[in-house]
Amino acid sequence: MAEYQLIIIGGGLSGIAAGIRAARFGVKTLLLEQHTIPGGLNSYYFRQGQILETGLHAMTNYAASGNKRAPLNVLFRQLKLSRKAFATHEQVGSEIRFPDAFLQFSNDPLFLEQEVARSFPESVDRFVSLKKSIAEYDPFAVQPWKSARGFLSQTLGNPLLEEMLLLPLMVYGNPEEHDMDMGQFVIMFRSVFEEGFFRPGGTIREFLTMLLDQFKGFGGEIRYRALVKEIYREKGKVKGIRLADGEILTADAVLSTVGMPETIKLSGWDLPQQAYGGRMSFMETVSLVDQKAREGLDSSATILFYNKKSQLHYQRPATFLDLSWGVICFPDNFQGLEKEERFQIRNTNAANYALWKAAAPAEYKALKQQWTHAAISNAEEVIGPYSDNVIYQDSFTPLTVERFTRKAEGAIYGSPLKIKDGKTPWPNLFIAGTDQGYLGIVGAMLSGVTVINRHILS
Amino acid sequence: MTREEIKDVILEIIEDIDEDAEFDNLDADAPLRDQLDLDSMDFLDIVMELRKRYQLQIPEDEYPELASLTSCVNYLEPKLKDA
Repeated sequence: MAEYQLIIIGGGLSGIAAGIRAARFGVKTLLLEQHTIPGGLNSYYFRQGQILETGLHAMTNYAASGNKRAPLNVLFRQLKLSRKAFATHEQVGSEIRFPDAFLQFSNDPLFLEQEVARSFPESVDRFVSLKKSIAEYDPFAVQPWKSARGFLSQTLGNPLLEEMLLLPLMVYGNPEEHDMDMGQFVIMFRSVFEEGFFRPGGTIREFLTMLLDQFKGFGGEIRYRALVKEIYREKGKVKGIRLADGEILTADAVLSTVGMPETIKLSGWDLPQQAYGGRMSFMETVSLVDQKAREGLDSSATILFYNKKSQLHYQRPATFLDLSWGVICFPDNFQGLEKEERFQIRNTNAANYALWKAAAPAEYKALKQQWTHAAISNAEEVIGPYSDNVIYQDSFTPLTVERFTRKAEGAIYGSPLKIKDGKTPWPNLFIAGTDQGYLGIVGAMLSGVTVINRHILS
Repeated sequence: MTREEIKDVILEIIEDIDEDAEFDNLDADAPLRDQLDLDSMDFLDIVMELRKRYQLQIPEDEYPELASLTSCVNYLEPKLKDA
């Protein structure tokens, strides 16, 4: 008999959610995390006595408690967590800024409609019918890839507005370059423009603690510093996993949340790894800034999505970083958060993994410094000066992401090809997380939940 | 278990699944799904709870038997008679 009924590889949000779901109904579950801290892409670390989050700008899919069909509340019910007891802070408001127009939006979808009416009065009727099409679309039905850009140009016929709407939706979840699958577009449109941004009370650490307490409360086990080296198979079935130190753990079923390229490698799956490698990765620069920089700084938004051109070039850039568009996030700008003496500014720009990877180890540090400086100067052109008041700063390159999260090429949104049914050629090996197809924190967690429901509980 | 006890078990399970569930105007013969705004994931939870508590295996093609409170009781009565 196997030691565990289920082994989950990866202590990120999809793995933890899957673990809670399985353990809740008595499945003997072991969660393996390679690091000493859980969270995967959405983790944390300490610097200067301050906790810094690695991934979280905001959670998408805001829903007030009581709205039962909303993904966030479905998720909480599935994990048997109290939504009422979960404190949330909604965004103050965000902005999409292009050279010739800007659009603000909040968690009230009507506000965006008014903004479209203000900036593009000729297009507002078509925007309303676009929203209707999106409401009627079933993004979870399995269907062939369809171009979101094609759909947008057909329904809106306003190139600038199309580019502006695509920016937040792509940068917060699109693994593909240039265009986006229609289903993914619909999911993102709903999560960002109709449900909206919020933060959990506290930091990602408290959020992770809440989830892990639930997992452990249901009898789930977690092991840290447990790097999986192989998913081992016998007679067409998965038997268990082998850890870096050689230890073997057996299981009736294995769930991998480490992404397709890594899963292919670990299992010896006969698939071209290359096809599942995402090309979109980013560099993120976190700055802790003294409160006195606030004066004269355009820092009132929660998240500012900017593009210095009128077309969005969502692709791996030819240089280390693409400074022509990006995201500036102010994680302190959520409703009900107290103003601190210092505040954070987070910059996100598309990065070229291959160039970062090719840099000699001796050069890497200097390059990181050089591009951090460039990213900050670039952000200053958008929001005003703050670099003189930076108390602490740190940057994550695609290599940092790859090293800590095991996401191949630092592609935070994973593979452009998704495994929507979560299945593999082995009857007892399953895929969940970013590469199963859902997006964002709530999406990744629902991925873990649905894969367990379909393949382990049913 | 009596019919009344089975009914209480079902309501208790639903209450456990959904902190917002309200039973004040519940019509025992009408679909639970519409009245309580539950989805198929919630129904899976009812099935899983029954399995956990009474080692009851309900095959997927019999899930429709759980549609209303009355149909739940009718379906579960013979299965839980010794429970």
